[in-house]
Amino acid sequence: MNAALIFNIGHPTTVQTSLVALASFARFDPTGRYVATGRIDGSAAIWDLETRSAIRILDGHVKAVSSLDWSRHSRFVLTTSKDWNVVVWDLADTCIPAQRYCTIRFDAPVVSASFHPRNSRIILALLATGEAFVVDRRKAHFSRIELIDESESVRSGFTIARFEPSGKHIFLGTGSSQISVFNTRTKTLVARFKITGAGAIKGIEFMKNGRSLVSNSADRTLRQFALPQFPAPAPDMQVIEQELEPTYRFNDPISKTAWHAMSFSPDGEWLAGDACLHVATGAADTANHKIYIWDLSNAGQFASTLDGGREPLMHLHWHPSKSSIASTTNQGNILIWHRPHPERWGAFAGGFEELDENVEYEEREDEFDIEDEADMIRRKMKEEEEEVDVDTVPAPLAKARDAPIHGVVLDDEDLEWADEEPDDDQEEWTLQPVMEDEWES
Amino acid sequence: MAIEPTSETPMDVDVSVHIEPTLPPKPNYTLRFSISGHTLSISSLKFSPDGSKLASSGADKIIKLWDAYTGAILRTLSGHTEGISDVAWSGDSEYLASASDDKTIRVWDVKVGTELKTLLGHTNFVFCVNYNPHSNLLVSGGFDETVRIWDVANARMLKMLPAHSDPVTAVSFNHDGTLIVSCAMDGLIRIWDADSGQCLKTLVDDDNPICSHVRFTPNSQFVLVSTQDSTIRLWNYQASRCVKTYTGHTNRTYCIPACFTYIESGKYVVSGSEDTKVYIWDLQTRQVAQVLEGHKDVILAVATHPSKAIIASASMEKDPTIRVWFDNTDPSLSQMNSE
Repeated sequence: MNAALIFNIGHPTTVQTSLVALASFARFDPTGRYVATGRIDGSAAIWDLETRSAIRILDGHVKAVSSLDWSRHSRFVLTTSKDWNVVVWDLADTCIPAQRYCTIRFDAPVVSASFHPRNSRIILALLATGEAFVVDRRKAHFSRIELIDESESVRSGFTIARFEPSGKHIFLGTGSSQISVFNTRTKTLVARFKITGAGAIKGIEFMKNGRSLVSNSADRTLRQFALPQFPAPAPDMQVIEQELEPTYRFNDPISKTAWHAMSFSPDGEWLAGDACLHVATGAADTANHKIYIWDLSNAGQFASTLDGGREPLMHLHWHPSKSSIASTTNQGNILIWHRPHPERWGAFAGGFEELDENVEYEEREDEFDIEDEADMIRRKMKEEEEEVDVDTVPAPLAKARDAPIHGVVLDDEDLEWADEEPDDDQEEWTLQPVMEDEWES
Repeated sequence: MAIEPTSETPMDVDVSVHIEPTLPPKPNYTLRFSISGHTLSISSLKFSPDGSKLASSGADKIIKLWDAYTGAILRTLSGHTEGISDVAWSGDSEYLASASDDKTIRVWDVKVGTELKTLLGHTNFVFCVNYNPHSNLLVSGGFDETVRIWDVANARMLKMLPAHSDPVTAVSFNHDGTLIVSCAMDGLIRIWDADSGQCLKTLVDDDNPICSHVRFTPNSQFVLVSTQDSTIRLWNYQASRCVKTYTGHTNRTYCIPACFTYIESGKYVVSGSEDTKVYIWDLQTRQVAQVLEGHKDVILAVATHPSKAIIASASMEKDPTIRVWFDNTDPSLSQMNSE
């Protein structure tokens, strides 16, 4: 809403605030109003970025929280832990202390888990043993199915598991330069992508519109790929075997920095092309907190480095809609980066416009004509007869979230399947502040 | 410019037929009930966002909660040590914030009727207060000429904006909570970025009259400003242009708020007046659509119901009553009539 009065594009440049959260990672929710943090002691916290205070403590694990995910309208949060559990939390529940909404138990430490992008009752989990499961908590589909790729390269199990933004496919990284793609509904293998020279796949991040992905791998290189379309699954379908050629490679040729975390900026092609797209990564093995940013709209050129001080970076996440990054230090502090807009002091004076450079003043023909007062009033009244619209919010301010996602077509069987038995995560839902007196302690 | 080869150009319309101008439907508010409970001037009236309750505050240091449809007293909240100037509901209708001359803002639990938080920080009378749409923040203004933003849950001040050079008379958030508008006795209306606290725009009228009240339109594209030259103006703040002017009432001394109301017959602007009447203007034509008479003193507070055609008004100490007016053209209200 304030976008009309503020000019603000580009990547973040300075630290706006730091939260002492004792966290090992921090993730923005889809609205960007909160960050959720996971801690080594097994608890998680939801922070309100407007008030910069923790508004919910989710205490449900006995070992370190390993990952965390938000449902699409921020009502549900899942936490995974080395204590073999995935816990789902319902933030609509204002009990203190917070009660688990449901617990999913596995027989090995859980490395990561995520909600299906369209239905939080479908959960993808990756275990420390390299097994990946799709857990479906819906009545008609109640199941826990392991995703299996028989190929030689997957012997050692999977290293990373992600839903693509449409939720139709699951991307699993392996220990040997391969990404296996499964159909979420049928749980069948759709494709195997080879990435020459990559080694173990350490990370996969998707652009918000699902058109491309970036992989992080053991060879200390980030690769960006354009995603192909996948055919609808059929019984006799051949698994696509393909060598993926990266559009861009990002690496540090001199010091061979290993990348700890990476994140896409939210602005994609649908934003009229004026915004630039960035990918940010945090370096791991230097003793500093450094974030590297590349500009994808500018042929993947390196844009800048952000220096966040002495505490090494553990994790970073880009804000879902703004030019802001949350980066976590090894001391558990969360740095919120932003792009400050310069104070325009001219705004304090009425009818005053600040100019960046000299402008030739052109006088209007009638600018200094003396107008009869009665005429002036009549003219003003005439002007005021024009109808005003006090209700419609202008379209450009509508949410970027509604932008189309790659690979989503009308009447898609996979999406219809995912939309069956929807969760209670409605778009209008908002997190209510808890105001109990006990909260003060 | 291409001209469409069609026979239905305006030229073909028979303009000789004189169309009788149909008068727009008018609101028809009548007094439903009047309630008394306050002993001194009533400063503020607010309907809860769910429409079920009406809160009133006054110079007698108390807040009263009423059933919006029957006028039955629900609760009396006392605790402030000086008169109260403004109250505001949280989005879920569970909490109420009040601004008082005792320099505090207090947050009340409406269900239980207890005081939950006291926000300390203002160095002079607090005059106006409002929640943001998510109800995690409060914004307040007062006679210390500052606008303050508060973290409600922790009763902590987040920002202090040295906003004006005279008492701040009104302050509120826009529909998505990214902007704040404030106005003051210095005659300025300022738009602020809620996140950074930066001033984005200042609006000032030629004659610089004292501003008594300001609010955003539902789409946040305009602000409705009441000034003490007996005028209410609708400003396009991006173009710094006044697009509508509403006159006819009297407002030279007090801070009287103006509200929007949407009912069957159209969209209206409602304001109290120092001539003891409530004025209702058609939003688009700027004509006075109805005048409500009955109060015996200056009307300091008016409120419009969030979903039904109901107006509440209250006046100063010669007649400290609240009058609730129902519009007969609202079918849901006429049904309530028969019950």
